Amino acid sequence: MTSDERPRALPGGAFGALLWLLGGLLLAFIIVPVARLASAVPPETVARAAAAAQVRDATLLSLQDAAITAVIATVLGVPLGYLLARGGFRGRGVVAAVVDLPLAVPHTVAGIALLFTFGRTGWIGAPAARLGVSFYGSQWGIVTAMLFVSAPFAVNSARIAFEGIDPLLGGAARTLGATPWHAFRRVTLPLAARGVLTGAVLAYARSISEFGAVVILAYYPVTAPVEIYNLFLSANLTQSAAAAVVLLLVAMATFLVLRTLASGRLLARAGDGAG
Amino acid sequence: MAPGEPGAGLAVRGLTARAGAFELAPADLDVAPGRVLALLGPSGSGKTTLLHAIAGLIPARSGTIALAGRDLTALPPERRRLGVVFQRPALFPHLSVAGNVRFGPRARGRAAAAPGDLLQRLGIAHLAGRSPRSLSGGESQRVALARALAVNPAMLLLDEPLSALDLPAREDLRSVIQGVLAGLAIPVIYVTHDRDEALSLGDDVAILAGGAIRQAGPAEEVLARPAHPAAARLLGWRDLGSGTVRAGAITVGSLTLTVPEGTPDGPAEVFYRPEEVTVRAFDPGAHAPGPAATFAARVERIVPTAPLAQVHLAGPVRVTALLLRREMAGPPLRPGGQAWVTLGALRAVPSGGPGGAARGRPP
Repeated sequence: MTSDERPRALPGGAFGALLWLLGGLLLAFIIVPVARLASAVPPETVARAAAAAQVRDATLLSLQDAAITAVIATVLGVPLGYLLARGGFRGRGVVAAVVDLPLAVPHTVAGIALLFTFGRTGWIGAPAARLGVSFYGSQWGIVTAMLFVSAPFAVNSARIAFEGIDPLLGGAARTLGATPWHAFRRVTLPLAARGVLTGAVLAYARSISEFGAVVILAYYPVTAPVEIYNLFLSANLTQSAAAAVVLLLVAMATFLVLRTLASGRLLARAGDGAG
Repeated sequence: MAPGEPGAGLAVRGLTARAGAFELAPADLDVAPGRVLALLGPSGSGKTTLLHAIAGLIPARSGTIALAGRDLTALPPERRRLGVVFQRPALFPHLSVAGNVRFGPRARGRAAAAPGDLLQRLGIAHLAGRSPRSLSGGESQRVALARALAVNPAMLLLDEPLSALDLPAREDLRSVIQGVLAGLAIPVIYVTHDRDEALSLGDDVAILAGGAIRQAGPAEEVLARPAHPAAARLLGWRDLGSGTVRAGAITVGSLTLTVPEGTPDGPAEVFYRPEEVTVRAFDPGAHAPGPAATFAARVERIVPTAPLAQVHLAGPVRVTALLLRREMAGPPLRPGGQAWVTLGALRAVPSGGPGGAARGRPP
């Protein structure tokens, strides 16, 4: 039985009404402030903000660095997700907890920790500086901060996807002559693709919205959330709200497109050609 | 165990493996090319563990596996040249039926021949373009079989391929498998917990119980002369009781029975075949074939199963007879009535079976 054949009838009656009421409350709690922000600023002010070089550059930088981070988080996160899903290794619980750690750490704390490590005198920052790579106040720093806070999403989405795949499929591939790498690339990874891409999209979304860790490790160059905060402090609320709407629209549009791609049928079809 | 050149088939020696807390006792098996070994055992006896160890899916802790003289023990599964059909079809859901069948040849770097012939032979050519998600259980297992055969394996392992199917699909696929196996010139191991499957598909039978191989040999031989209580039970023999063999006789309850020639003295469990029990509504007197094995009993219960009805009888020992419906047509047997019971085939098996390590080879 495929997932599409499962009974999908929603509960009715008082219980159904209660589910909708409570679920609707939370939904409204998310939608109302976002809609209020969008309606608070006249469209021409938003257009003017989008045309301003500072806001445009900051938004583009955020987009670019979030995309780079999503790729790095996925490349490094998939192997760890696979190990956590498959490996009955010692200390698996500890590794899983470490992966989740960035979710529990306040992001200002993460920024300070990263500064100690990747700052100019940090454990990694100092030797890197001698090689000409600076994390402090550079795009490298932004990506580093984004990676720290978004990595759990990439790892956990991949782990959940791998956990949902029958390990016997990999075994069957091996008996048919596939090396472990071939079995992974041709069977396990295509089947986990949706979860892996969902993880990448979540990592992207988490990265583009990151402020705390980024502002501490790499205040410059200015990303969109930092620019909005600067405007909030130095200019008026309307100006910062206009920049906020620009970021909101760009982030939402890219997120929705990527999310649709990751969950779409397009992917299910793409898999059929592999083998 | 089987005719054929020594070293030409599969030779397993002292193989042990572990799956979770389960540990397999050292196992010996021989399967000659063109022979089918039915590995028969109850659930949890270690059949799948043994098969996965032979396939290389779990590591051997000790012992050796050789195929046509080539030592496979240290080789990864992809270098063992096997075909494996699992209990679940384990088809790749993102590939079409044809994509599944081509997977093996492609993985081995061979130009994938059109899988048409193979699919035709298994009666699934019309499914080539379908997704495995849309197949019935029987169709899926046929595809799994085609996929395993597509790599021209040097040995075929089948792990209860029929167990998840309903009865009509099972009988259907069983005859397909029978046809396929008849045309193969490689060693085949067919794992099952079903006596009928083992006897209809296996040239040889190995009995696995409690993680150890208890007996192995030609199917007819093992069926007629089980040497271990587990082998007797799995092959349809029923417990009569236990006692001690002395000078060719054993007493079970208040019944003294003559045991087959060659049964060693000592504690033994006595088994009978329920379909060879004769039940009469009158005293056969001197006509009974083995007077020692004929006794009067009370009919306790008749279970009207088909094609054989079960007649439960209580006399000096309790016995269940399996009778054809027409055998019950004469003077009627009825619950509470008197009957005369003649046990047909009897087997006294040394208690606990032959001692020592598990064995798969006859002496």
